Amino acid sequence: MNSFAMEWYLIALIMFTGFYCMLVSRSIVRQLVGLEIVSKASMLALISAGALANNLVYAQALLITMIVIEVVVVAAGLALLVKNFRLHGAADIWKLDGLKG
Amino acid sequence: MNDYRLILFLLAALFSVWAVMARRLLTSAIMLALVSVTVSLIFFDYGAPWAGVFELSVCSGLITVLFISAVTLIREADEKNPENRARFHALPLALAAFAIASWFYLPAFFAELAAWARPGNGGGTIGLALWDMRRPDLLGQILMLAAGVFVIKSVFPRRNEK
Amino acid sequence: MDTGLLAYLIIPLFAAVVIPFAARNRPRLADVLANVTLLAGLANLAWLALRPSMIAGGFADIPGDALSLLLVAAIYLVALCVTFFSAWFLEEGLPNRQAYYSLILVSVAAMTGVVTTSDFFTLYVFVEVLAVTSFALITTDDSAGGIEGALKYFFLTFPASAMIIVGLSILMMTLGSLSYENLRIFMASDIPAGPVTFAAALLLLGFVIKSGVVPFHAWTPDAYQGAYAPVSAHLAGIVTKISGVYAIVKLATLLRFFDGRAAALSEMLMFLGLLSIAVGALAALRQTSFKRMLAFSSISQIGYIVLAAGLGTPLAIMGAVFHLFNHATFKTVLFLNSASLEKAAGTTDMDKLGGMEHPMPWTSWTSVIALLSTAGVPPLSGFWSKLLIILALWESGLRTYAVLALLFSVVTLAYFLIMQRKVFFGRKSAAAESASEVSAPLLTPVVLMSAVIVAAGLLFPYFYTYIRVVAERIIL
Repeated sequence: MNSFAMEWYLIALIMFTGFYCMLVSRSIVRQLVGLEIVSKASMLALISAGALANNLVYAQALLITMIVIEVVVVAAGLALLVKNFRLHGAADIWKLDGLKG
Repeated sequence: MNDYRLILFLLAALFSVWAVMARRLLTSAIMLALVSVTVSLIFFDYGAPWAGVFELSVCSGLITVLFISAVTLIREADEKNPENRARFHALPLALAAFAIASWFYLPAFFAELAAWARPGNGGGTIGLALWDMRRPDLLGQILMLAAGVFVIKSVFPRRNEK
Repeated sequence: MDTGLLAYLIIPLFAAVVIPFAARNRPRLADVLANVTLLAGLANLAWLALRPSMIAGGFADIPGDALSLLLVAAIYLVALCVTFFSAWFLEEGLPNRQAYYSLILVSVAAMTGVVTTSDFFTLYVFVEVLAVTSFALITTDDSAGGIEGALKYFFLTFPASAMIIVGLSILMMTLGSLSYENLRIFMASDIPAGPVTFAAALLLLGFVIKSGVVPFHAWTPDAYQGAYAPVSAHLAGIVTKISGVYAIVKLATLLRFFDGRAAALSEMLMFLGLLSIAVGALAALRQTSFKRMLAFSSISQIGYIVLAAGLGTPLAIMGAVFHLFNHATFKTVLFLNSASLEKAAGTTDMDKLGGMEHPMPWTSWTSVIALLSTAGVPPLSGFWSKLLIILALWESGLRTYAVLALLFSVVTLAYFLIMQRKVFFGRKSAAAESASEVSAPLLTPVVLMSAVIVAAGLLFPYFYTYIRVVAERIIL
């Protein structure tokens, strides 16, 4: 079978795993883990597409920027998580239902 | 595709499933690091060394350290409220169902996408690509790092006890 | 990248970096620096665009893509109102005062980057920066509501980014490059567009989630309600628009919806737009909290912009761009006023507020102007932008869409009239007894914005010429 199709099929499976984790988790850290998995899958998709189009140098330039973004995003998410824990003693997203209407 | 890459992809999928299903958060973090290592090896196999190096050092290194520090900080809260494990144990089932259902149409769809690919010229060095073609992205990166610094300053301010 | 407007990106970034050093011992200096930077930028923009010679020439000499200039002006205007308001609203002892102003300046720089770039990946990068700054801003005051809103925003925005990346990789693979020009040229030619349209669909999906369009609007009410008060104005006023809706409008012009090239996408967008109009308008009726009601009203108005963008004809794009600008002005006024109400009367629960016009006349009247303009009452600016959108729909033969859009506008108008009468002009409630008008500096930004709303309505012919130039340049 076409190797590109196989790779993207597996990438789709990994992305499904990540989204499942985000949907089903109660703990915020686990949702962050799911987000990370989704992010890795999208990076794989980028490099795979770049390899097919013989444009790897360009794809890598994009990927480097993407990795920088991802680091800051994860750091911000974890900072928010720790702050939430310090203020409210819980890391559980289902406990947050103060805003209703 | 060659067997080595296929095995790496399957390993990445395996580690990610393990990361989702792990009971302890520390195990999840370590599995995530292993996913990053596998992905980095995949990048090397594609012939994308710069991507592999960045992924290895930054993602499997820095992000894992961040995760493990955060996990250790919130350990007590997590152990007090254990989650409902049933939904997580259902993951292999859900994944298998998705895999089988999409086997019939996803690879064909992707193969058709591949047929439309426009071959690029692939040349140049990474420095050239970043500086010449994607210079605004560098400005974006600077902005992102500045934003990150200010986010940390905003979330953890130095409170002056007066 | 539009290098003419690059200065508007670099200077706020520079100011943001300087603030922590300059304001180390004198916290108030941070406020001054932020306000002066934004004011200088706005003055420069006004000189660029509103010189008498420029107006007389029918705005033909506007540099570059006239849309960028208009949006950068909107960004600076809203941010200036928010920082000016914050200077008097922030409590004395807020420990992260400098970080707050630095974050607002960085978000202004990121937004300027979003509207001046001509490449999809750079657009993505700046949108991510914007998202990161937004959710630190939402949690400035450590409230539980803020953290909840920020977390919901976080976990809906970043999966959308992953989808955008997959769309970008397919685009890179099938188009060869990620610049706007190449997409425009490609769509204008006769090459069958299959995978490129699929990539564009993924991009649109990602940006639709980021704008808070139904059915992905779950984060919007919580984020707007829970955020720190001036930050709600910043978010609702400009951030959600620039991070999501701008890309949708841009894609709509690049994909040449008016040529019927990507008919399925166009119809999907129009449907989602109409759905947002309906859900936003109807859900707003049931809210008791003023801020939450405003959040649903935002969803409804963004539906109008998305509906017009989905249609894609030149008249519709003109309506979409004008409504984008107008909505920025309305929501800034309304959210800043809700912050004032909260400060003066202690509550934003509409059941508890009544007859607020007596103690707080300025706040009430500016809110009334903004609410009437949102509902589309002539001769205010909202009327003209909605008229353009409905006319564009009618002209293209989509009679049902036009009638429904008009119908929901009437529903919104009826609801606002009833609500205004109770909250501002009714019997004085207990909260109104103890309230008093907020100080003049807090009122200055809302009065300024209301003046802009009225001026944009009365001077509509000038605006029409301007957005006509915009439409000509970005569509053809």
